[in-house]
Amino acid sequence: MPNPVLADYRSKVRKPDDFDVFWEGVLQQAAAVPLAPEMVLDPLRTSDDVEVFQVFYSSLDHLRIAAWYCRPAGLTARTPAVLFLPGYQMDPPIPKEWARKGYAALSVAPRGKLRSLGQFNPGYPNLLTYNIVDRHTYAYRGFYVDAWRGVDFLLSRPEVDPARLGVTGSSQGGGLAITTAAMRQEIRAAAAGAPYLCGYMDAIELTHTYPYEEINDFLRIHPDSRRAVEETVAYFDGINFADKITCPVIVNIGLQDNVCPPETGYALFSRIRAADKRLYPYDGHGHDAGRYTQQSIIDQFFAQHLRSER
Amino acid sequence: MSQRPGDFDQYWQDTLDALAGYPACPEIDAIPLRTTDFATLYGVRLTSLGPYRVFGYLSIPAGRGPFPAIYYAPKYQSVLEIIPQGTANLQRSRYITFALAARGQRNADTPYAAMFPGLLTDGIDRATSYIFRGIVADGVRGLQFLLTRRELDPARVVVVGNDMSLITAALQPGATHVVTAPQLFHDTAELAPRTRAYPLEEINDYLRAFPSRAESVRQTLAYYDLEAFAPRSSATTLVMAGAPGAVPDATSLGRVVAALRGQVTVHASEQSSYKDGLYAERWMAEQVDIMDLPGILPEHWR
Repeated sequence: MPNPVLADYRSKVRKPDDFDVFWEGVLQQAAAVPLAPEMVLDPLRTSDDVEVFQVFYSSLDHLRIAAWYCRPAGLTARTPAVLFLPGYQMDPPIPKEWARKGYAALSVAPRGKLRSLGQFNPGYPNLLTYNIVDRHTYAYRGFYVDAWRGVDFLLSRPEVDPARLGVTGSSQGGGLAITTAAMRQEIRAAAAGAPYLCGYMDAIELTHTYPYEEINDFLRIHPDSRRAVEETVAYFDGINFADKITCPVIVNIGLQDNVCPPETGYALFSRIRAADKRLYPYDGHGHDAGRYTQQSIIDQFFAQHLRSER
Repeated sequence: MSQRPGDFDQYWQDTLDALAGYPACPEIDAIPLRTTDFATLYGVRLTSLGPYRVFGYLSIPAGRGPFPAIYYAPKYQSVLEIIPQGTANLQRSRYITFALAARGQRNADTPYAAMFPGLLTDGIDRATSYIFRGIVADGVRGLQFLLTRRELDPARVVVVGNDMSLITAALQPGATHVVTAPQLFHDTAELAPRTRAYPLEEINDYLRAFPSRAESVRQTLAYYDLEAFAPRSSATTLVMAGAPGAVPDATSLGRVVAALRGQVTVHASEQSSYKDGLYAERWMAEQVDIMDLPGILPEHWR
């Protein structure tokens, strides 16, 4: 059973007064950059049942972002689509399994990830604290937009039904699923696992493991920057995006998560505005957040919300 | 079942001989950002087969040694971690840790930058030029370097990783313990068609594109099969197998386990990173006589 102490946890994060203004400004800058999508068939990865494409599109600061796009072979009708977002250290996977389930699927490599690092490459560890004292140049400013622009790519595809878009991911992918669902109203269903980037300043006290430990390392060297760090990450904290989510959403967390403290998962969930939301806390699980059980729940959730035409 | 090549030992002896022709020439720089009051972190550059310069993160505990050591052998991913994600940073207060990026991984990606997926089949149709010949040499070079550290207790050296941990321990004396979670090189030619999940799906992709190369791929993979390496390792070993039915699970790893010369424990995954991770941490601590394990576990595992 969930530990009630964890479930009642209150995050320290406060939403900046100009949070919406800040992100409106970022989105305005991004809107000035044409998407310029490219899609190249990858014969090596394509099979009888799934077509695989290497995708590239432009994002904030005119960076070219790579992605993998898969779709069921022989599509004859418009199809629902899933946007898959990657973990912090994960190399973005080819989302063939989603295509085998009948979805068009885009797996994005935001800036700094393999295949998207030619113009921006702070490295790992380092991404989490890259320019963390300045919200206007912090690494995740562009990184978030890169993920959100995956929605624009899906909307550019004639085979994708724009009324049936889902987003999912775990860890960093879970955090990005939250911010994407918040900022892109085209998303009709979101499944977030073990969400990272939620409760940054809580997490660095609740756990001392990487990647969050990168912030503790930074503050040990730069103790005078603590306030600036707190101010920056408040603009990027998934908890502060949560009240913008109106689509159906499910969240799974592990109560022994050693990477993304479960307390932050509870704090996030309590702030999600959507009426149709459900939390799946897994006791006896760590950062896997019960994925072996949860995957079939996610499949059912997306089937319910995305498979039937609207 | 993979057939052990008749020249298996010669293939690897030639590789080790070639590696020996290149001095490691270590270049060691402190990294203040990742240094704490309980451990100092260094970036280490080493020359390996090729010649090729690889990179590792070396952490040395504060205080007087000798200390037990964990060698994190190269993983199958682009990112090099100082210690694995989710490991308590305090692990570095008790163990020397050394994590190596093999050629192609970040920090060792010049001039060769590996793709994931892609690395597993790079040059796979010729055993002599298969990329993993160099990667195995990199893994060996990393362990050789670690064993030179004066702070290290040579009776307590644990090599941790996927296939590369067992392969490294088999080729380079000095590992007293191994934790291995086979992923790539166990019966690969036979098991790959049974899964559609990467990284083994890379083999399926490759053979679909180049079906005429199936036999040469099989021949190359035979030089990398864990079953062929196992008799060369006498380290006490923990095999982290997949859950029953997974590829590979404890059943399919049976021949590897039987061929290992040292004491072996097999742990079948409980499909929980917490339970599996805690099991491995406890096993290592017991093996190297670390008595205060809770103090170096992640907060949510205590």
